[in-house]
Amino acid sequence: MRVMRQAMFVLVVVVLFAVAGVWANGRSADEPQTRIIHMTARQYAFEPSTIRANLGDTLVFRLQSADVMHGFYLEGHDVEAVITPQSPYVELRRPSEPDARPQKVEEIVVTADRTGKFRYRCSHTCGTMHPFMMGELVVAPNRLFIASSWGIVGLTAGLAGTALSSRKKQNGA
Amino acid sequence: MNALETIERRSAAAPTGLPEPSKRTFLTGRRMELFEKFPRLYWLVTRRWFQFAVVVPNLLFFYAFLIAGVFGSPVGNRNIIIIFIWILWWFALITALVPFASRVWCTVCPLPFFGDWIQRRALINVRTGRTCGLQNQMYGLNKKWPKALSNIWLQNIAFLGLCTFSAMLVTRPIVTVWVLGSLIVLAALMAGVFRGRTFCNYVCPISGFLSLFSMTSTLALRSKDLDVCAKCKTKSCSVGSDKGWACPWGIYMGKLDRNNYCGLCMECVKSCPNDNIGLFLRPAMSDTRIKGYDESWKAFIMLTLAAAYSIVLLGPYGIVKDFANVAEVGDWKGFGIYAGGLWLTALAALPAAFAACVWIGRRLAGRSDLGQKEIFLGLSYVFVPMGLLAWIAFSFPLIMINGSYILNVMSDPMGRGWDLFRTAQIHWSPILPEYVGCIQAPLLFLGAFYAIRAGYRFALEKTGTPAVAVRLAAPVSILVTAITLAFLKLFVG
Repeated sequence: MRVMRQAMFVLVVVVLFAVAGVWANGRSADEPQTRIIHMTARQYAFEPSTIRANLGDTLVFRLQSADVMHGFYLEGHDVEAVITPQSPYVELRRPSEPDARPQKVEEIVVTADRTGKFRYRCSHTCGTMHPFMMGELVVAPNRLFIASSWGIVGLTAGLAGTALSSRKKQNGA
Repeated sequence: MNALETIERRSAAAPTGLPEPSKRTFLTGRRMELFEKFPRLYWLVTRRWFQFAVVVPNLLFFYAFLIAGVFGSPVGNRNIIIIFIWILWWFALITALVPFASRVWCTVCPLPFFGDWIQRRALINVRTGRTCGLQNQMYGLNKKWPKALSNIWLQNIAFLGLCTFSAMLVTRPIVTVWVLGSLIVLAALMAGVFRGRTFCNYVCPISGFLSLFSMTSTLALRSKDLDVCAKCKTKSCSVGSDKGWACPWGIYMGKLDRNNYCGLCMECVKSCPNDNIGLFLRPAMSDTRIKGYDESWKAFIMLTLAAAYSIVLLGPYGIVKDFANVAEVGDWKGFGIYAGGLWLTALAALPAAFAACVWIGRRLAGRSDLGQKEIFLGLSYVFVPMGLLAWIAFSFPLIMINGSYILNVMSDPMGRGWDLFRTAQIHWSPILPEYVGCIQAPLLFLGAFYAIRAGYRFALEKTGTPAVAVRLAAPVSILVTAITLAFLKLFVG
């Protein structure tokens, strides 16, 4: 019973910290804007490697390859493209529509309608390190990161509190 | 070394200051004896052919992979050896086998197969006779392994060395073939010279981290009743009998109190004349004692490697990938920076930060009577659950993102355009990649929870007073929190 109470106490502290963290930091202050991203793919990295955006932003990707054929798969946004070297066009397809014909486009427009970290990955085998070629789109407010970071601090505090409260009970007894 | 004299640190009874183990068994708390619950399991593991039957299929697959590695595509994600070993096997090992089945991989591992045959000249049956105090006829030179090397330092260095070249190891089939092929040859050579599983005990780089992380496992092979072991005249588990081989790992079951060095070969279950060996299901993270600096450093190395792999393989940093990928890029200066940073962090920076936390904790607790070494070793266990969960968090994206390659290489194992099961052309399709972070964050949470709890429990055991224990463990808990935050930043930040 005591262990259950302690576990509940720790859980409550963790949740309180996480909620407080999101409440304090989890709102986007900036107005949505359009960001044009000139992205170069090379073995085995994207440049820029990290894109920071705010919820509601419109992201316009202009993709090119510096060496071989690459892919561009953006997690959580139903976007996959093939980037051919020295071509201004990319072949865009929607992974949710596997039978649809790819479209040739000059730019890919994505709305940052979800918060968090989304990796963009090469989806076309480009060499030995291909499976690890990726970049990151971080859409603020990154609530998962904020909540988990504050939650970890809460966990440490909660466990310390549990230990100290058992001391008080011991002294009281 | 007499066969009955097992290495002290492998089988020592509880050191002074720690609670006396139960009189009946080293296991405490809730547990379930699986042989009693599932008699068919007991029947199975007591068959002489059991280990042969589980190793041989694995051995055949292993050789098929090696052939694919040599003759197949040099591109990793088109060759079965890379996809099956470094994605499927690794994921299964770290997320399921180690946490829930201890060192069961060692039961089925193909690497020591030929070494065992060299020593036993038998695949299934037991040879009785007398060799160096054992009740089995053994072949080979049966030399003693040097006492100075009877620890896991070699494994620490070998594993760190291998992992320094991981960008090549996990992406180039031929490198994997060389490494695994060398290990199988080395295992056989060592078995011809040294007694028992010397290779597994002291050299195998995989065995090193299995030994450390098996402490967390919910499965444990133990003596059912230590009194029965104490009264046992034959000590067949250790020296063998006409029913089973002497423990290849050099263990006497009457003193086995941790999972670390038991390879679950089940010979002791067969040879015990008192039917006193049980396979127990128990709570996770039950073995909590680190017995030497070599084990502490293994924990530092594993945690550092989890971070390094997360940066190199799962991070967006092209320059770091170029540094690590020296065979293709040829930037030896960059590789030197990467390798130097890795070794310095694993062997010096993290241990130094931890040692400083231990020292501060002792000062805060006002318990200078507690030795730095004793507290250092005891608290270094915090990196075991934390490291394991960090590795699991690292491994989930491997399977969720690249899992579809498994279907491809099943149909085209060598990347030669075959389509055996009509799955070769399945398009690469990650499984819910945007939710990987939602799995990783709770895993890191769990690791931090177990780590901080273990640190506090050890501190309480040493000090006996909660407030003093909190002060003793506080700096290490803060270090754990900081490292967890760094992992969170890498994975979801």
